[in-house]
Amino acid sequence: MAKPFPTLAIPLFLLSVVSLLSLRCGAFSADRPTDRRLLVLVDDLAIRSSHSLYFSTLQSRGYDLDFKLADDPSLALSRYGQYLYDGLLLFSPSVQRFGGSLDLAGILDFVDAGHDLILAADSSASDLIREIATECGVDFDEAISFQDPAALVIDHTSYAVSETEGDHTLIASDIFIESTTILGDEKIEAPVLFRGIGHSLNAANSLVLKVLSASPAAYSANPATKLSSPPSLTGSAISLVSIVQARNNARVLITGSLDMFSNRFLKSGVQKAGSSIKNEKSGNQQFLTEISKWVFHERGHLKAINVRHHKVGETNEPSIYRINDDLEYSVEIYEWSGSSWKPYVVDDVQVQFYMMSPYVLKTLSTDKKGLYSTSFKVPDVYGVFQFKVEYERLGYTSLSLSKQIPVRPFRHNEYERFITTAFPYYGASFSTMAAFFIFTVVYLYNK
Amino acid sequence: MAPDHGSFGLGALICALMLICPAASIRPISDAHRSAALELFVPVDGLFPSLEETYHALRTFLILGVGETSEINRATCPVVLEKLKSPSSSPKGFYDALRVNSILGCQIGSETLEDVASQLRDLIKGADSLMDFYYSVIGLLHVKGQGVSAVLSDAQGVFHSIKALSQSDGRWRFDSNNAESSTHAAGIALEALAGVVSLADGEVDQSKIGIVKHDIVKLFDSIKSYDDGTLYFHEKHIDGSEYEGPLATTASVVRGVASFAAVVSGKLNIPGDKIFGIAKFLLTIGVPGISKDFFNQIDSLSYIENNRISIPLILSLPSTVLSLTTKDQLKVEVTTVFGSAAPPLTVNLVQTSTSEVKNTPTVENQELQFDQENNIHYLDIVPLKIDIGKYTLKFEISLHDPENLNIYATGGRMQYLVFLTGYVKVDNPQIGVLDTDGESSASLVKLDFSKLDKVSLVANHLQKMRLSFQLVTPLGHTFKPHQVYIKLRHEGRVEHIFQLESSARQYKIQLDFLALLEQIYYLSGRYEIELAIGDAAMENSFLHILGHIDLTLPDPPEKVSRPPPQSVDRYSRFGPKQEILHIFRTPEKRPPKELSFTFLGFTLLPLGGFLIGLLTLGVNLKGFPSSSLPALSSILFHAGIAATLLLYGLFWLKFDLFTTLKLLGLLGVFLVFTGHRTLSYLASTSTKTKTN
Repeated sequence: MAKPFPTLAIPLFLLSVVSLLSLRCGAFSADRPTDRRLLVLVDDLAIRSSHSLYFSTLQSRGYDLDFKLADDPSLALSRYGQYLYDGLLLFSPSVQRFGGSLDLAGILDFVDAGHDLILAADSSASDLIREIATECGVDFDEAISFQDPAALVIDHTSYAVSETEGDHTLIASDIFIESTTILGDEKIEAPVLFRGIGHSLNAANSLVLKVLSASPAAYSANPATKLSSPPSLTGSAISLVSIVQARNNARVLITGSLDMFSNRFLKSGVQKAGSSIKNEKSGNQQFLTEISKWVFHERGHLKAINVRHHKVGETNEPSIYRINDDLEYSVEIYEWSGSSWKPYVVDDVQVQFYMMSPYVLKTLSTDKKGLYSTSFKVPDVYGVFQFKVEYERLGYTSLSLSKQIPVRPFRHNEYERFITTAFPYYGASFSTMAAFFIFTVVYLYNK
Repeated sequence: MAPDHGSFGLGALICALMLICPAASIRPISDAHRSAALELFVPVDGLFPSLEETYHALRTFLILGVGETSEINRATCPVVLEKLKSPSSSPKGFYDALRVNSILGCQIGSETLEDVASQLRDLIKGADSLMDFYYSVIGLLHVKGQGVSAVLSDAQGVFHSIKALSQSDGRWRFDSNNAESSTHAAGIALEALAGVVSLADGEVDQSKIGIVKHDIVKLFDSIKSYDDGTLYFHEKHIDGSEYEGPLATTASVVRGVASFAAVVSGKLNIPGDKIFGIAKFLLTIGVPGISKDFFNQIDSLSYIENNRISIPLILSLPSTVLSLTTKDQLKVEVTTVFGSAAPPLTVNLVQTSTSEVKNTPTVENQELQFDQENNIHYLDIVPLKIDIGKYTLKFEISLHDPENLNIYATGGRMQYLVFLTGYVKVDNPQIGVLDTDGESSASLVKLDFSKLDKVSLVANHLQKMRLSFQLVTPLGHTFKPHQVYIKLRHEGRVEHIFQLESSARQYKIQLDFLALLEQIYYLSGRYEIELAIGDAAMENSFLHILGHIDLTLPDPPEKVSRPPPQSVDRYSRFGPKQEILHIFRTPEKRPPKELSFTFLGFTLLPLGGFLIGLLTLGVNLKGFPSSSLPALSSILFHAGIAATLLLYGLFWLKFDLFTTLKLLGLLGVFLVFTGHRTLSYLASTSTKTKTN
């Protein structure tokens, strides 16, 4: 116990530095889930110019974009154990190896730490980019050989009509996921332009979802060469844009087309083959803006606070319940709107009273101001129970609340005492006792 | 060797932007650029963030002929004037202000300009870095442009000082202390040298100019290229902020070379193809999204448009997808980079080739007709008897006036990829199930895609399914589409794709289920049949559900592979679950209360009988002690017994076992004493009576 101060002082100092840093950067936090600082990795800085519209929509929404070449030797996602960025945009499809110390594991750790990722590939997608996608549950269609560029998605029935591009690799797709949380309240009217490689979803991964799918007639092949074998990816199995929401609520967007973010596609008009509607502007801008709002947690982020439970008629939370008690359970749920927490109003939040399996599963009623509550009777089974709220909805972050609470049986004096059915027994006992008393007197003093 | 990632990436980007690299189609500057310029350069209250950006905006507007400058004029001129009058302005400050003024034409007194000119002359004398020379010389050139005399007296010396910074490979250094040579600097230096030449009061030494001309030729040796003949300048990645991308570097060289060529006599020895390649590069970029890139592109193209070396003529196809159904014409535009009309010329379609079909007659040497009104060269494709497909067209431009050959660069033969599309007829489609011998064709059904009829077939593993059809192009040839396969889908889950092969003018597939047993995992049941035929040249590509086939297959042997796992239902975890209500144990069944009370009454009956019995027997209490002390102990003893019995009553009513036992203990001790006294008294009295 010679010098307690230096050992204490160092963590304190670090703590203050860290808190200063986080204050300065306005970093990602539980209170403000929207990302702020984004790292954009590119193969060539010319993407800044050719994709400037997309970047400027991000910047106008308050994001801090840091452009770096993917092979920049000074590349780092974290420093001193702190992540420098909240989100990563991988717009560098052909990078074979990242600069600096960043590698596949580094990217995965970044996502595992709850940060968001947008990955855009194209036909030049490198093995590294493919591996990152594979780790996220998405398999890009493989290139057949080195000379042969990767297969592109071809669709001879729902391509975008163009005077200059005739090989039907410019896809106009309007098969969106049905979720206003992910794609915004406004319906996307114009088809989205896509040119690039298709991918399929890993059959075993339940977290990855198709946001934009190819039409049933699409297939993935090299348009320049004759097909020697049936295409490996066809029809609706081809996903053009997919999303993943990890268990830690990190969000990932994966697409096989870097072009779909380009100014040219964003500004271009679109007419889908076979349709007479000519859209002035493709749906890309709306689609990509809305989905980036989702990816960067401007939408669909829930938080649950003030989980409370108590016996009916009381206000304090007991440490134990007895079987057959009547209890009330309440929780407040709020949704992040991008700038503030707003009450989340739905009618399908459910609570479970759970021990090995749910004994009670009940839908909570809402007061439309974010408070959800219900009451129910504790089951007549004792043991250690949990109040569980497992709330998973398409597009929303999942809520997983659990609170442990033991349930005991009746104490010996809590059982019913005067059971009418037993009155004959009592009557017999007491009449015997009275007779005994009389008998003692009579027996002793009778002469 | 460190790979040059920058240029590689740009290559990838350009490839990505254009469809197919070798036959990239480029278009001259169009209205897309004009509207983009107005979106990119947006002044706030007539002001741009800096004078440099103001110049970029104004110059772009001027070249493209768009934008309203009066408000910019009103807001910016005071800034320009202030900058010019400020004694502390740097060469760059003067340079920016003067070049903005050269476009805006602000009301600046000639004294101010003369004052600026003399300051700039002083700066030139004291300059030692390339940028200082550049800013001052160009600044002075702009002063001259305002009609104020701005003669550079020591032009020879300045020319020499700038030339001293050049390197042997045609590149320049930014200053004498910096050994790093740069292509970007070369462009700046050439522009500065051009300025010096035009500011000189006399002739600049022709031999020196000759050396610079030679340098320029060497500079062009370092030009980089893509496979399609696109040329550009690019620098190795220099550390720090001096790095300029290929666009900025190329633009700088173009400005420098074009300005230098404009002021010196004689022609620079640069092949027109190189200028053409650079123009192609600048146009390939499309519409840049960053204002600086946009300015560089437009500005350098304007230099190319008016340069004295050779003016590139861009041959472009407004449409590369031509439909035979609507009898589209092959149209070709030949313009300068800004889309202005070219001198009289003829466009020849030198060759048409296709890699797909060998026997198609290739068209050779067709002269395109010229539509004076729309400035378009056109050719009707229908009389050429070209079938649908993907063609590589080679064009050549021949200028009418031989003098123009030296002025214009046409880029030689140019290749374009063109799609001829048309309606493909599906002839004689038949589907059916055949027996093993393959003979009984009676069951073949003719399909009609225009109707919604679906076939329904039944087969077992000893039979075969056969599908055949012919595809005929508008010219009556057999057509081989890129996508032609059938899909069998087992109950909406497991899919199998079979590619159709063409033989003897028809597509035919015969699925022998016995051979396919392994492949389809012995799965019996209903299979949906889907036929997909599609091609880039086919206007009626389609995907039809033909119907279904019910397969009866034998049971799978043991060691057969299982069908691949079907993907999990990703949406099942969303959405509320079924509510669960706990079912409580039902309380045990009890008899009705009345019954209990009746039996209570019955249990009390023996007590009554006992009392009546006692009365009938005529019991008495004569034995009760008469003397006071034994009577007291007897009373206490019986009171004790009564208390014990009462305690039992209380135990039933409210006490728990612990209270009861405690009290019972006390009462017990009390009872032992009083009982002993009472009983011993009774014993003694009874012996007394016996002895008596």
